[in-house]
Amino acid sequence: MSTTNGMIGKSVKRVEDKRFITGKGRYTDDIVLPLQTYACFVRSPYAHAKIVGVDLEVAKAMPGVVAIYTGADVAAINGVPCGWQVNFKNGDTMKEPKHALLVEDKARYVGDAVAVVIAETREQAKDAAQMVLVDYEELPVTVDAAKAVKPGAPLVHDLAPNNICFDWELGNPKEEVDQALADAAHLTTLEFVNQRVVPNAIEPRSYNAAYDAVSEKYTLYTSTQNPHVIRLLMCAFVLGIPEHKVRVVGPDVGGGFGSKIFHYPEEALLTWATKNINRPIKWTAERTESFLTDAHGRDHVTKAEMGFDTTGKILGLRVKTYANLGAYLSTFGPCVPTYLHGTLLQGLYTTPKINVDVTGVFTNTTPVDAYRGAGRPEATYLLERLMDLAAHEMEMDPAELRLRNFIPPFDGVEQPGFQTQVALQYDSGNYEGVLTKGLEMLGYKEFRQKQQEAAQNGKLLGVGFSTYIEACGIAPSAVVGSLGARAGLFEVGQVRVQPTGKVSVFTGSHAHGQGHETTFAQVVASKLGIPMEDIDIVHGDTDSVAFGMGTYGSRSLAVGGSAIIRSLEKIIEKGKKIAAHRLEANADDMEFEHGQFTVKGTDKSVSFGDVALTAYVPHIYPKDLEPGLDFSSFYDPANFTYPFGCHIAVVEVEKDTGKVALQRFIAVDDVGNIINPMIVEGQIHGGVAQGVGQALFEGAEYDSNGQLTNATYMDYCMPRADDFPLFETATQVTPCPHNPLGVKGAGEAGTIGSTPAVVNAVIDALWSGGHQVKDIRMPLTSERVWRAMQTPVNT
Amino acid sequence: MQLTGKQVLNAAPAQVWEKLMDIDTLARIMPGVSSLEQIGENSFVSTLQIKLGPVNGSFSGNMQLEDITEEKNFTLKVQQSSKVGNANAAVKVNLVPVDDNHTEVSFDGDARLSGILAGMGQRVIGGVANTLTKQFFTNLEKELAQSAS
Repeated sequence: MSTTNGMIGKSVKRVEDKRFITGKGRYTDDIVLPLQTYACFVRSPYAHAKIVGVDLEVAKAMPGVVAIYTGADVAAINGVPCGWQVNFKNGDTMKEPKHALLVEDKARYVGDAVAVVIAETREQAKDAAQMVLVDYEELPVTVDAAKAVKPGAPLVHDLAPNNICFDWELGNPKEEVDQALADAAHLTTLEFVNQRVVPNAIEPRSYNAAYDAVSEKYTLYTSTQNPHVIRLLMCAFVLGIPEHKVRVVGPDVGGGFGSKIFHYPEEALLTWATKNINRPIKWTAERTESFLTDAHGRDHVTKAEMGFDTTGKILGLRVKTYANLGAYLSTFGPCVPTYLHGTLLQGLYTTPKINVDVTGVFTNTTPVDAYRGAGRPEATYLLERLMDLAAHEMEMDPAELRLRNFIPPFDGVEQPGFQTQVALQYDSGNYEGVLTKGLEMLGYKEFRQKQQEAAQNGKLLGVGFSTYIEACGIAPSAVVGSLGARAGLFEVGQVRVQPTGKVSVFTGSHAHGQGHETTFAQVVASKLGIPMEDIDIVHGDTDSVAFGMGTYGSRSLAVGGSAIIRSLEKIIEKGKKIAAHRLEANADDMEFEHGQFTVKGTDKSVSFGDVALTAYVPHIYPKDLEPGLDFSSFYDPANFTYPFGCHIAVVEVEKDTGKVALQRFIAVDDVGNIINPMIVEGQIHGGVAQGVGQALFEGAEYDSNGQLTNATYMDYCMPRADDFPLFETATQVTPCPHNPLGVKGAGEAGTIGSTPAVVNAVIDALWSGGHQVKDIRMPLTSERVWRAMQTPVNT
Repeated sequence: MQLTGKQVLNAAPAQVWEKLMDIDTLARIMPGVSSLEQIGENSFVSTLQIKLGPVNGSFSGNMQLEDITEEKNFTLKVQQSSKVGNANAAVKVNLVPVDDNHTEVSFDGDARLSGILAGMGQRVIGGVANTLTKQFFTNLEKELAQSAS
């Protein structure tokens, strides 16, 4: 553990796991402040209802009640903002209704908060909340994005006619794509739903807000992926509190998968209310409340058409998607189906003409936002389903079809990046490499033989492919700014060398399960040549970390790690000057390796620890140099990073019941350079489990009245360990050419690649039995697969 | 959610009709009813105790009988609210004579649930509804048998 250089690339055990697995983690709900009070929200049981009146008389008289607020009390306060602006094709800005902290006029989804009760205990708050009598007048409801845009559909917001938030397009002019498809020898068309899923972080959302009347300072403890972003949005856009008067702390966070990026009404409401009652207020979501109010993921209704020439070369792609945004715009809501989805539709292929058209739609459902992968899984699902289906239709091999269409290898240094038809420029890639490796691991030829034999014996075996690409390391500020982002997406890394040579690293990249405290320490240990034990990674507190944009979009190492590297370079540069002075040499002649500053070509050296001490006890010190050894850097990436990979699923479908058994899952991922292979493998495993979860088990089911009918673990099917075989993982390394670590990001890869591989495998199994099925709606339950098999058999 | 049920009872339509129109009998035979009080010609205030899987709720609200065709059919409308959510239902009940001593009673309607009840109970609700239907007919048969004896 104490070896210093060369910590990069080692499967070091996660240092944070000691506290996590011994139950010593400190989460927001663990924090109890003096004079603590508790909040319970009164939520609409109706998906769309006018609030005729709210009677608080009985509730106010209940034991322990401290305060009750309704929409009228916060009507003058801004709503929570949306962080991304997407425009209509004609240039008009998107429709942006107020997302109030508590609704006053209408509830627009089941779970919309109408009032909040604050009481001495959680139970008293809950009891009193049940006695808040809200007089609702039910209104007609719309839940399906494709239907909500039809004339006559109930309106969620008066300011958005036909419930359209924006209609947006990207890529080549539509006429050119229409022509390319008209000229195609074969056209593959797929109409499908990428169903809505619930993020299900193991730790529910939790907030604890406090106000100190003496310093006039607020503190908000919040289960978040990005404390600084929450502080910025809440202070500047909602409450109008000066930022220096607010401290936001994200303690240990038990998972987020995107759902804890966003600024939710509850955290602003608590921060506002704590000053009124001058006591801390805590709220932690119950599980069903999480189902109803954590921003959901996916929910696209899509028609995609891909044209091919006679050799299987792709000529063009046309996509029309209705993206369900839910009842309000969540922080990143409009960006997910557009700039994180449309921009990825080049995939790994040389497709010369692409046009994507996305309509963002309001409905009476929980807001939809980024969920692990965010837009990129939807893009990958679309492309990879089309590829396997096209292979079936053209009677071609799906692996061969991909090989014919892959962008040839390029390293981004000798060969330039690849310019897509949909705005992005890929950094580096070797796409054939991952597929070839995947086929080897599978034993492809043997599998096809086995599949044939199985079919003769009445068994349905199938293999499904998914060769994906994602845009990670989010994101170059200038690029995203031009695309509508209302923030820069750089990251901050500060390295403070203490007088004794121990190192504190402050990163704006706040971990919620990714193992930053290990990976980042490995990077610092390697760079400075000191033991990992001498390094502390500090994150999640706006009072200790200068600034930060947080953890999402597989950005932590690529952007946050790069910021740390920049600061380490400054530390080493200054250290060389100090060491040179000590050794009476020229700073240009110094080199730094294995924790020693050495005069080149000599054995004269001084250790890192000695240099650190000299910086703080500068008795013998260069005249023109400040004391201290502490640097901060803001790193704004030059481009996105583009991890890619090949996922292969093997399934058996039971003929009589339609039950799907996942027999093998092979993941070959190229995430650039790897700091900790064990953590990368863990991320891939978790991601694949989540992606397979969407394919086979999960899905938020709304009834026509807008009620979420599976808002518990009894009704919402989460994947379990015994649903999976042991995943077979491998990596290929194509370094990112534009960041100092050469890393690309691994947090979302598993979720992005796996879903279409599994669905493709089931469909392949059905084709092997003569059922020429184009699509089965996810999740692929036994019933749906069985029904699909009742279609006529072609032999 | 669709609510349907059908059973042939050992009684003439007139006898069945008499039982169904009698509030005290109705309170006895409807599963889960803990009180039923008449407040208008065909309207009632009700309290129900119902257990739906993990959801155990005390419901209160109104019931109305509408579109009454003597000895043939009527519609029962129910609006109930509780801490675990609200339920609204409209159920049409039909009586068809099979012969002099037998009547087929059937009902067909729709129930709308909201709140926890909707998010938690729907998977088990079909089963619960079937059980309650069975209980209702068993209770009704008992009442009819008692009056016959």
